[in-house]
Formats: sequence, C-alpha cells, structure tokens
Amino acid sequence: MFKELDPILHSQLRLAVMSLLISVKEAEFTFIREKTNSTAGNLSVQVQKLKDVGYIDVAKQFKDNYPQTTCKITAAGIAAFDAYVQALQQYLSVDGVR
Amino acid sequence: MSEDKKLTELESLQLITNMIQKAKGGYHETGIGSLLWGAVVGIASFVTYLRIEYGLELGFDIWLIVLAAIIPQIFISTRAKKQAKVKQYEDDMVNAVWLVYGLTIFGFSFYQLIVPGVTKQIILEEGWTMMKHFSNGAKPDELITPFTPSFYSVYILVYAFPTMVTGMVKKFKPMIFGAIITYILFIVSCFTKSGMDMLLGTFAALFCWFIPGIILRRKYLAQRSANV
Repeated sequence: MFKELDPILHSQLRLAVMSLLISVKEAEFTFIREKTNSTAGNLSVQVQKLKDVGYIDVAKQFKDNYPQTTCKITAAGIAAFDAYVQALQQYLSVDGVR
Repeated sequence: MSEDKKLTELESLQLITNMIQKAKGGYHETGIGSLLWGAVVGIASFVTYLRIEYGLELGFDIWLIVLAAIIPQIFISTRAKKQAKVKQYEDDMVNAVWLVYGLTIFGFSFYQLIVPGVTKQIILEEGWTMMKHFSNGAKPDELITPFTPSFYSVYILVYAFPTMVTGMVKKFKPMIFGAIITYILFIVSCFTKSGMDMLLGTFAALFCWFIPGIILRRKYLAQRSANV
C-alpha cells in the first residue's frame, strides 16, 4: 500500500523551502528567495501556507530599521518532511523494479 | 520556481538533493577572523623567535598585540552575526569550541605568569634553592629562577585543536591540513629549544589560520561577486 504524498510538500516551491530549512537552523527570507530563485510575493504566500500547517515558524523583527523575516522548520515540519521522503522512496523503489 | 508545478517523484528527490546542497554551500565565513589571528600570532611568535635567537628588542611585549586583537575580533564577530542570512546547526558548537580555546590560551598565559613566582615563594619558604651545576666545572653554579620549560610546544598543540574541529565540522580541508601540519610541528617542537619553538609556532599560525583565511576570503569574495 502506497503512502499518499503530502500535498502541502508535493509542490515545487514549498518543497524547495522545506529542503533548505531542513539543512539549516534558521534562514532569512531573502536567503530562501535567492536560493529558490522565486519572487518575494510568490514565496510569501508559500511560506504562509507552510506556517499555517505548522511546518515552519516565522519570526518577524526589525534589524537596522529594516524588516527581517526569519524562518525555521518545526518538529512537525521535520516529521512531515521525513514521512514525505519515505513515501518518495517507496514510489521510486517500485519504479526501479518495473 | 513555481508553487503549482506538478513534480514527478524523481523530480521531487532531485529538488530535495539540490536544495540541501545549495543550503550547505550557500554560506562562507568572511575569513577576516582567520587572517587576523594568523597574522597576530604569527608576528608575535616570529618577533619572539628573533628576540631569543638574535636579541631583537622592541621595547614592549609583542604578545600584547594578541590582547589588542580581541577588540577587532569582537567587532568582526558582531558584524558577521548581523550580516548572516542563515544559521547552520553546527555554528553554535564551533563558536563554543573557539570560546573554550580562547579561555584555555588565557589560562596558559596566566599559568606562565603566576606559577614561576609562586614556585619561587614555596621554595623559599621550604628553605632550598634550585641551582644550575655545570658538570665539567667550566662555570660556577648559578641560581635558577623557576620557569616553565619549553612551554610554547603546548601552545602549538592547542592551536591545532579548534582548527581541526572547525575543519572537520565545516568540511574545510585547508584547516584540516593546517591542523595536521601543526600536530607535526608540535612533535618537532618537543625536540627543539625555546627559540626554535617560536619559529615553529609562526609556521603553525600560518598553516592553521592565515593560509585558510586567505582561501576563505577568496571564496567569500567570489561568492559575493556572484550574488551581485
């Protein structure tokens, strides 16, 4: 029986954000934007979706009079990412057998 | 990158791998801290070598520049913390190792400053003296003031420790090689006089910090120009 791929993670930009955040302790919004090569508006929407499901924490503060947004993966996010990768491996191992 | 693009399982896996690599490769130290400490410790060791071997006198203790370097280091660390766009998991651990290393070095300096005087006092209270006796009778016996013999070897050994940890954790080979060379210099220094230990210490500072600092700086500047 195949595990269903998490629809929140099975989207290009959200998966890219989660893959970045799983590798680091925390990252600024601008860093994620640079690495994912996305627009600020598009990224904002996807970050908000990840935050709404509890996969990431978003902290907003002011640094040198400029707004700074920092993102950090949560324990729920790590568990979801882990489950997603396991499900992917299940699909890929079956594809490999075919 | 689009949020709605449907991914195949293989594309998902490739995307995850790609982004993890980007996250790991997306951060470089500025290298200024390594350059600063490599230069300061290297200069202080070399000047001490010249003093011991050739009688060079500057009129002040050259090791005071190591104390003075703490001020720019605080500025560099604060600035780097402000500018960092990403925090890696290992950053706290590496910073803790360097902090403990700094405390250890100052502990050594304190030991060297205090122990000879205290030993002298203890010896005096116990009513005996340490004498240098020339077995061939060429010179008369001389009174010895207690000192810590060839202690700079221990400094060289400790220089390698945080460098090796940083190199291994950050997977930065120049620091790993620098630390290995420094361990070899430590072994050599066990067989050499104090003056030569200082010269070996100069090489240790160059290999541990100055050369890796140049490499880090180049990488950092190359990365920064690529982002513009």
